[in-house]
Amino acid sequence: MALVDYLPFVVMLVLAAGFVAVSLVASRFARPSNPTPEKLAPYECGITSEVEPTQRFPVKFYLVAMLFVIFDVEIVFLFAWASIFNELAWYGIAAAGIFTLFVLETLVYVWKRGALDWNVKTRSRYAREHFRIEEAA
Amino acid sequence: MIVTAGWYMGLAAILFAIGALGILIRRNALVMFMCVELMLNAVNLTLISAGRELGTLDGQVSVFFVLVVAAAEVVVGLAILVSVFRNRATASVDELAELSG
Amino acid sequence: MTFEIDYLALAPELVVAGTIIAALLLDLFLTRSKKYWVAVLSVVGVAGGLVPIVYMLAEGGTRSMFDGSYVVDEFALILKIVFLVSGYLVLLMSVSYIEADRYYQGEYYFLLLSSILGSLVMSSSRDLIVLFIGLELTTGPLFLLAGWRKGDAKSNEASLKFFILGVLSTAILLYGMSLLFGLTGSVEFTAIAAAIPDLVSEPALALSVLFLIVGFAFKASAVPFHFWAPDTYEGAPTPVAAYLSVNSKAAGFVAMLIVMYTALPGISEVWAPALWVLAALSMTVGNLSALRQGNIVRLLAYSSIAQAGFMLVPFAAAAVAGSDLAQAFSATVVYLVIYALMNLGAFAVVIAGARRTGSGDIDDWAGLGQKDPVLGLLTALFFLSLAGIPPLAGWYAKFVMFASVIEAGGISTLVLAAIAAVNSVIAFYYYARVIKAVWLDTPSEELLARPGREYAGSIKLTLAISMGLTIAIGIYPTFATYFGEASRVIATGGG
Repeated sequence: MALVDYLPFVVMLVLAAGFVAVSLVASRFARPSNPTPEKLAPYECGITSEVEPTQRFPVKFYLVAMLFVIFDVEIVFLFAWASIFNELAWYGIAAAGIFTLFVLETLVYVWKRGALDWNVKTRSRYAREHFRIEEAA
Repeated sequence: MIVTAGWYMGLAAILFAIGALGILIRRNALVMFMCVELMLNAVNLTLISAGRELGTLDGQVSVFFVLVVAAAEVVVGLAILVSVFRNRATASVDELAELSG
Repeated sequence: MTFEIDYLALAPELVVAGTIIAALLLDLFLTRSKKYWVAVLSVVGVAGGLVPIVYMLAEGGTRSMFDGSYVVDEFALILKIVFLVSGYLVLLMSVSYIEADRYYQGEYYFLLLSSILGSLVMSSSRDLIVLFIGLELTTGPLFLLAGWRKGDAKSNEASLKFFILGVLSTAILLYGMSLLFGLTGSVEFTAIAAAIPDLVSEPALALSVLFLIVGFAFKASAVPFHFWAPDTYEGAPTPVAAYLSVNSKAAGFVAMLIVMYTALPGISEVWAPALWVLAALSMTVGNLSALRQGNIVRLLAYSSIAQAGFMLVPFAAAAVAGSDLAQAFSATVVYLVIYALMNLGAFAVVIAGARRTGSGDIDDWAGLGQKDPVLGLLTALFFLSLAGIPPLAGWYAKFVMFASVIEAGGISTLVLAAIAAVNSVIAFYYYARVIKAVWLDTPSEELLARPGREYAGSIKLTLAISMGLTIAIGIYPTFATYFGEASRVIATGGG
């Protein structure tokens, strides 16, 4: 298609934009305007929620969930390797071994950083020794 | 009625559209993440059904990688959200309007 | 069964990957006062990655692996040099910045190196899967880096916006890829290109190509998919903003060009007009928005959006006119090389200037030239180069761009050239505004009274390298031309 063939699209775009503009302007004049807070709420009917749910989960649950997701998904690659384990022989074992080593390195990292430490008190002591903790936050 | 790969592709297209709409409409960052996940899974479904139809493994291999990247992104996203929540105590993207112009 | 793996071809990636692993381990076993060794290791690792590249360039030839999915040709090597050198400069910029923050230093370098590795992989990819992995490895760590200052609400917001739009673009890109795979039956670019002619009338193909363009345009922050960029640049640490504006933008950009050029030349009638529109919009909207900015980082953000538009011009023009794409490729690469150097320099100036003035507002920079003449001079030089004034490198970038457009010929091409010309003039106005503030405005009492805080040696080194190269290319453009000529040789894999 040459650039000229896009002309129908341009016409269509202009028409669409014009329709939107005309109907917006027309409805502005035609409609009664009497907004109340209830009408502006996303759900007009039902019980209005007074506050955000205050229940907060300790952040360590998030941390464990995240670590689970990451280590869980790593297995996908081993699965692919396992399905042609025999053909790849020692070469495959070496490759999978290197891969596993790197996964283990992340485990060492996570461990050393104290993310696996369920006791938040000891974790924060570790953190205090190694990083500046933002007191204000 | 025979369910062909085309049906799966259609389902994937619908899932993708739902996810995309969700991102545009919903304003809670967590829900927006979920919508992105829905879109990524639509992609996976397309890849798998196309791969099966074509009889190649490329589709399945791609899904492995998409899966892993999606997991990594969820983790990154949750981490960002946790730190936003600590400072703001809100997950609504509309209330994040410090930077604009 | 074993695979033929050319370890020399993979050497740059292996060196950087090894550095990443070593950096993470090293960081764990260092006490806080010795953390700077991680920075040293990272800088050495990135520089080390350049050695095999130079060797391969000297040797010449194309190396292809994994059935043509991973190709190391001159084009890839040139891009790897760009990514490594700009990564090196960003690392240098970061050292003092991150040390001042004092926490999680090791992770910062780990993430930045991972991103550099991603862009190296991306430039060799001739396959949808490898391209996707490379691109995601480039952007993934940046979501975290943008939110580096965890306690700062602005930084949080920057990274959340970047993340949501980033994963959205990933999803769109992937959906385009999956459709393309479904239609052509292959993930490899040469095979896709071979299958395209039979499918031209298929509407789903056009749809998938448009999805791809939208995805890439998000990554390259081209208008109208640029909304995240200024906010993210402002909220992120300044070195990360520099990285975003050069490496990650270039990665999205180059990925788009590789796919269009090697996989989809058969349906250029679909993507060529789209690129034309992207180029025209990016230049115009980027420049017009930059005019209104008071914050210097936001100004640079919009300016880099506009520069991306300029970079797209040769390729869009050649594709619309149906002329030689290889010529356009080399013009784009020349522009990219020069842009990377001068933009990184400009960001280094921003870091140094923010230390001097304690502010990122252009008004507060008034009279900086009197306070610190060297920094004032550098500000003037980098911004003049961005505006395209000879004898600084920027003029040559613009010259090559216009030359290749004129070579392409045709009405729509000339319209694009006219838009580019008008935009160059607009751009000059806002670049000059910064220079005017620095040199002509009278400094505030406050600025003169500020103690002359010295900035770190690594920032000085960054400024020296980027300034030296900017002037060298401006006076002796053959150097940049070499990059352009070499990048013409883009191999399409297939063995």
